[in-house]
Amino acid sequence: MTDRTGWQDAVESELRAMGRELAVPPASDLTAAVRQRLEGRTVRHRGVLAMGAGALRRRPRRRAALIVLAALLAALIATPQGRAGITHVFRFAGVELRQEPGPMPSPRSSASLPGERPISLEQAQRQVSFPILVPAALGRPGAIMVSDGGRVVSLIYRRTLYGQVRMDEFAGHLDQVYFEKIVNLSNVTKVEVNGTEGLWIKGPHELVYITRDGYSARASARLTTGNTLIWATRQVALRLEGNLGKTAALAIASSAH
Amino acid sequence: MRRAIDDAEAVARACGGDLDAYSVLVARYTLRAHRAAFLLGAGEESDDVVQEAFVKAFRHLGRFRVGEPFGPWLLRIVANETRNLTRSRRRRAALALRLPSAESGGTAADGPVDTVLAAERRAELVAAVNALPDRERQVLVCRYILDLSEAETAQVLGWPLGSVKSRTSRALNRLRGLLVPVEQDRVTND
Repeated sequence: MTDRTGWQDAVESELRAMGRELAVPPASDLTAAVRQRLEGRTVRHRGVLAMGAGALRRRPRRRAALIVLAALLAALIATPQGRAGITHVFRFAGVELRQEPGPMPSPRSSASLPGERPISLEQAQRQVSFPILVPAALGRPGAIMVSDGGRVVSLIYRRTLYGQVRMDEFAGHLDQVYFEKIVNLSNVTKVEVNGTEGLWIKGPHELVYITRDGYSARASARLTTGNTLIWATRQVALRLEGNLGKTAALAIASSAH
Repeated sequence: MRRAIDDAEAVARACGGDLDAYSVLVARYTLRAHRAAFLLGAGEESDDVVQEAFVKAFRHLGRFRVGEPFGPWLLRIVANETRNLTRSRRRRAALALRLPSAESGGTAADGPVDTVLAAERRAELVAAVNALPDRERQVLVCRYILDLSEAETAQVLGWPLGSVKSRTSRALNRLRGLLVPVEQDRVTND
């Protein structure tokens, strides 16, 4: 036992000593650059536009963010580069949307989130850190699944007017990425859900789950069915997927509480 | 004369939109944030990552709990940004750990024998840490190089505390195997 702690202490102190010697390039003074961006003088940054629900919450910035998103989408759709297949990325409510060159990979036909298992609504609510919203418009869910140690809750409706409908809920407003979608950005439009911003994605696309520490969960990769709506409230981010039109999706979203 | 303000006061004023107060925090934490970004794998893009993190941190100040230390809270955003960067490039994090080259005067290549041996040993350790799986390297960087506690490491990397503990001990075990010859390392466990 003493031997064990002895060698641990030795490795730890060597690591600390090594840390003091490591070469790290000098940092730039960022005060002016950060200030300029916060004053709104520059908005684009390394091609990634990040928008969490938090940024949308405060009114003046929300408007600015909407304009930026609209402008970015318009630019991506309108410019030749937007279509030519350069990788474009932006983030919204815990979902990263990417447009990538080349053919779409073919995801497995059956896929599930890591550790996905059925659970009751009451148990699910005890396991997750966000309030689970249930859309009254769809009635009682046929199944409730919790995944990845309580990081995601999914409501499954097997038989609805729109076929199978799935609603994933997660703490995407906390600026983590939960899902990555490979989309054609011309299929993405901005919509309003209960007075906040949402995105409507037309048609199937590849969906991959991103784990807590930022890795793609390969076994989760699949093609979505139908269309998808993404939005967020102050406490939870949601994605609704199924064979439904925009009006129906928005009605379901606004009945979720 | 300007009075120095502490983090809590700077955060409170920045929350109210005071960019001067926020600039104090930016200046105060740039070096730490940059070191963290670089060592977690942002490489040449560390300045960009830190800039993005400060912009996001400002927009999310509403979520900052009064009395919480600003450093680990900011570093979590830095770590997220670094991860998003490396993931969106679909590549492994830059192998960030390296020692200053001998010519630039960092280590003594022709000094006394024990100094030379120590320098070699140090270089072996750097190579061994660089060869660890991503997550194990990250946890060692946080714990021993950025000098964060286990709880802070859990916050910065967004992992459960148990994962921090288990990955740390797994990583230390691997380094033990690399640094200590197996013959001298027999432990009777029965």
